[in-house]
Amino acid sequence: MNYLPISLLLIIMLIISAKAGAKAFVISKVSDNPKKHYAYLKPMADYLAKNLAEFGYTEGKVLMAKNNRQMIRYLRKKKVDLVTETIFSGVLFQDKANAEFLLQKWKKGLSSYETIIFVRKDSGINSFEDFKGKTIAFEDPGSTSAFYVPAAMLLKKGLSLEKLDSVRDKPESNAVGYIFSNEEINTSTWVHKNLVQIGALNDHDWNKSDHLPKSFRDDFKIIAISQKLPRGIELVRSGMSIELKNKIKSLLLNIHDSPDADFILERYQKTTKFEALDDNIEQIIKYTRNMLTLVNSKLD
Amino acid sequence: MPLISKKLTLSMLIFVCHSQFFISQTSAKEVNQIDNDEPKSYLQLLKVLHSNKTISDEQFQTLKKHAEDNAKLLEEDSNDQDDDLAIKTEGGLEISTYDGKYAFELSGRLMYDLTAFSEDINKLGNDTSIRKAYLGAEGKLDYDWGYELTIDFAGGDADIKDAYISYSGQTGWLWKFGNVKEPFSLSELTSSKYSTFLERPMLTELAPGRSLGINTSTYGSHWTLAASLTSEAWDNNPDDEGDEGWGTSVRSTYSPWHTDTQALHFGLALSYRDTDDEQKIKFDSRPETNNTDIKYVNTGKIKHVDKLTHIGLETAWIEGAFSVQAEYMFTELERESDTDLSFSGWYATASWFLTGESRDYKFKKGAFGRIKPYSTSGAWEIALRYSALDLNDQDITGGSSSISTIGLNWYINDRMRTMLNYAIVDNDEFADDDGDSLPSDNPSYFQLRLQMDF
Repeated sequence: MNYLPISLLLIIMLIISAKAGAKAFVISKVSDNPKKHYAYLKPMADYLAKNLAEFGYTEGKVLMAKNNRQMIRYLRKKKVDLVTETIFSGVLFQDKANAEFLLQKWKKGLSSYETIIFVRKDSGINSFEDFKGKTIAFEDPGSTSAFYVPAAMLLKKGLSLEKLDSVRDKPESNAVGYIFSNEEINTSTWVHKNLVQIGALNDHDWNKSDHLPKSFRDDFKIIAISQKLPRGIELVRSGMSIELKNKIKSLLLNIHDSPDADFILERYQKTTKFEALDDNIEQIIKYTRNMLTLVNSKLD
Repeated sequence: MPLISKKLTLSMLIFVCHSQFFISQTSAKEVNQIDNDEPKSYLQLLKVLHSNKTISDEQFQTLKKHAEDNAKLLEEDSNDQDDDLAIKTEGGLEISTYDGKYAFELSGRLMYDLTAFSEDINKLGNDTSIRKAYLGAEGKLDYDWGYELTIDFAGGDADIKDAYISYSGQTGWLWKFGNVKEPFSLSELTSSKYSTFLERPMLTELAPGRSLGINTSTYGSHWTLAASLTSEAWDNNPDDEGDEGWGTSVRSTYSPWHTDTQALHFGLALSYRDTDDEQKIKFDSRPETNNTDIKYVNTGKIKHVDKLTHIGLETAWIEGAFSVQAEYMFTELERESDTDLSFSGWYATASWFLTGESRDYKFKKGAFGRIKPYSTSGAWEIALRYSALDLNDQDITGGSSSISTIGLNWYINDRMRTMLNYAIVDNDEFADDDGDSLPSDNPSYFQLRLQMDF
């Protein structure tokens, strides 16, 4: 009997089944620059996939979402396993796609950040009450610390916000105008040049000279500082087994034991380390959710 | 069954059906297949149950809200495509897929120069030129493979600059196969788009520059390491019957700190080259302006050179708006006659941004990057450089030259700048362009550039 055809068939089937059995562990984030972020996330995806072989994972992959809506869709369809995002996006993904908070991430060496609302010292503005009829510059509609948080802070003070089309437009006298600057340096320059009267940045950018030159900072005063929020959050999709979640958690918390740790963490948005969720995380999530709801209900 | 249990069971049933129907979507195709009328039917059902008092007001409102939210998401889902491309432009064009599998970028740069000489002995001639007219494409395929092809059309010829295939699939290492710069010299590896002065300092004549071969690099938080194994430059004549030469270079940099406004950089590079069968080597350099053909320092062809060894030392320090940078290079030529030659050069630069910006140190490359003005009216930089190259040794009298330059740069925005240099050239009695010009010439010149890149 000639076993060759059968052997060949078996080999082909084995190859196909091995191919069909390929299972990817997928890391995701919302991104407007997928090429850049792919390089940042891929080493971590490879590291986790390699160490999650017992769960059937054979390779690490990266899939970026163009916006929060797409990420919600990915999470619901279980197209992604781990999401690295901000607390605001995290809460949204928890509410809309049952994603689960796993760990906090020290992104770019910071465990937390806060929003600073500032004005020129000579503006005559001393409190939120003086904001009416003035304009505030936010960074962009996706920014946690330079849009959601400061917008919610103003709304909580009972101020109404009016979106302006141009930096030269003026708001109604009983409202606060807002406009997106797209870059931190634009926010600080616009306030300094009095094109807008109020600016909002996080404390990290407040201290970065390329976002807020020191000569500008000397002319500014701070009106309000927000509650501190975790700098980064790692979430997993819903329906993940407890064993897998625990293993991912353990791998990330102990990543320093890996010889490749420096290499992976440096690329993973300059992460210094991961840590367990804050004891107060429920309160932080609630605070975040309230602000998210407030902003979404009051602004377009 | 008691009424309350019935209500509970029914509510649970609705919830389960609803969850299954609206949430357990597994593919975009399935989502799209859902009849758009279904959410309406579900809402009607809720209304009926509510009017029959099967569910409470509170239950009705909660379920209705949930249903409306999901109906909205479904509608958005049907309008969205998951296979969209990310498209960006900052003058050029960048396209990429969201899974990082493919990317494409079109870029270019244009530099327009004017030079006015104050002549001393030799006639240099005021001149204008298109210094660089680059057009380049780069991209990636199948996640880990990439390419770049950049051509310089200045001067009417197509001069190949970077032309390589890259591979990034090996953790931490980037491999390039093709025509790339060998890892040597901070000044050489900083793109001409970002250099502080119009031209690189004379000593870069001793740096290997671009050649064909394999190049690999990696980096950590505070260091970089790069190495190359190369043959000749791309335009070396392949019809030549003799064997090509080959070379290898290694460069490592260390940066104990690097923030947006502060950095300290050290670099060490070594390069070795086995010459081709012709065994002829020539070093020459223009006086840091491209608008003259006179290369005062010029060794002419040095014959019977077996091997070349280059050593490069680099340092740079950035403290806010102020920065300094210096390099030293030493080249040894091993000759068959056992009379080895050595040439050397160095420069030191100081720069200060009047408008407060800092030079952009790219620690991953161990090189400098783009200046982004703080203000919409641009950034101003003033800079000084002293540069020297000595090509005299034993029987070779290639000349020695030093150039002092003061530069004023206006960065109009982060893609455009104008640069003005004033330079004083000091040549020794051997700096005669290998006999083609008069030695001991000490001209000076003003040089102006308008530059844009995209």
